[in-house]
Amino acid sequence: MPEQPNTRRGRVEAMRKREQAKQRRRTSALVAVGTAVAIVIVFVIVGATTKSTPKAAATSPANASVVAALAAVPESVINTVGAGSGVTGPTSTSGAKLTSDGKPRVAYVGAEYCPYCAAERWALAQALSRFGTFSGLGTTTSSSTDVYPSTATLDFHGSTYTSPYLVFTPYEEEDGSAQPLDTVPADIAALHTTIGGGTYPFVDLGGTAYIKGASYDPALLKGLTQAQIAQALSDPSSPVAKAVIAVANRITAQLCTLTGNQPANVCSASGVTAAASATS
Amino acid sequence: MTTAPAGPRTVAPGRLIAFGLSLLGAALAAYLTYEHYTGNRTLACSGHGTIDCAKVTTSSESVIVGVPVAVWGLVFFAGMIVLTQPLAWRRPDLHRVRLGAAGLGFAFVLYLVYTELVTLHAICLWCTGVHLVTLALLVTLLMVDPWEASPP
Repeated sequence: MPEQPNTRRGRVEAMRKREQAKQRRRTSALVAVGTAVAIVIVFVIVGATTKSTPKAAATSPANASVVAALAAVPESVINTVGAGSGVTGPTSTSGAKLTSDGKPRVAYVGAEYCPYCAAERWALAQALSRFGTFSGLGTTTSSSTDVYPSTATLDFHGSTYTSPYLVFTPYEEEDGSAQPLDTVPADIAALHTTIGGGTYPFVDLGGTAYIKGASYDPALLKGLTQAQIAQALSDPSSPVAKAVIAVANRITAQLCTLTGNQPANVCSASGVTAAASATS
Repeated sequence: MTTAPAGPRTVAPGRLIAFGLSLLGAALAAYLTYEHYTGNRTLACSGHGTIDCAKVTTSSESVIVGVPVAVWGLVFFAGMIVLTQPLAWRRPDLHRVRLGAAGLGFAFVLYLVYTELVTLHAICLWCTGVHLVTLALLVTLLMVDPWEASPP
């Protein structure tokens, strides 16, 4: 700190220096702000030009063995896994009943690039396979540039589901490149927004319960192919089965409330009743 | 130790603003830390959006050297609270430390903004709040005259 001048000339000089220092500080601040703005603008431009529309993976029809393995999970596995642990299930809601053709309707909204959808599809498809039959199921992987990259999964886009008990209407709203794919009808879009908060995946189970997000950790599927995941579902000791089947049991328990506990063999399985107790 | 000269018993507004910004930044970082450990495990993708806090705060880039970025932010602002609290202004020689820390913090912010915009293509608004507070803190500290009289 400079000494305090005691002459008039000295005071004037000191005042001039203080003004200069003040000006330097202002300039420094302006330079900092200007530099920050310029750098952020560069980042925005670079980000926009390199925008990895999430890197799309090829979609293809599901191998018949994958679909078969999905539908043929032994009851012993279902019962052994039961409600499981470390997973979540549907959340009850008191909205209007969701039906189609006089049957309870299950609606799914997701996106092909979405890693959480990748995880949830396995459990949802496995549960629905207990009530009906899929055809035209595809396979894909989630975005390679998002979290849980390239998670192997099924693809509901273009699939059809036939069941005497339920109607399933899936919408893959965006494809692997985050481009529009399936058009979500207004009624489901409204539910997706109000109940699901607009997030993927969103599943509405007949208007009585919903799923928002993945019900288990997608990391469990890391490095596995569709065939390996499908195969693991029949091994009650595998972490994949413990998670996927547990969630499927919880979804099944909820669906059984919609179908009047039909089919009886599905709804009376001890794994499903255990899941019902865990989620009620 | 160098001390500031005696002067009027007022606290320079810039110093109060810097202290307030440090407190605000710490509050935001504390919230993000809390969310990191408890609240953001929604395991969901935001539909359509670039604004996606969960994507940012759950990404692999959200942890550096095994420590969540939010915790780094909390440590930074805790340090800045110490450096900008009223008593600390009695030592003008600390100002270089303040400026150095704020500059370092802002460089880190630029890295995080790069990660958000270029790597993740997603923006977390809470994180952006922290980034703006860090910039404001740096600018405020640049404007402050550390030799201006301090309250006794």
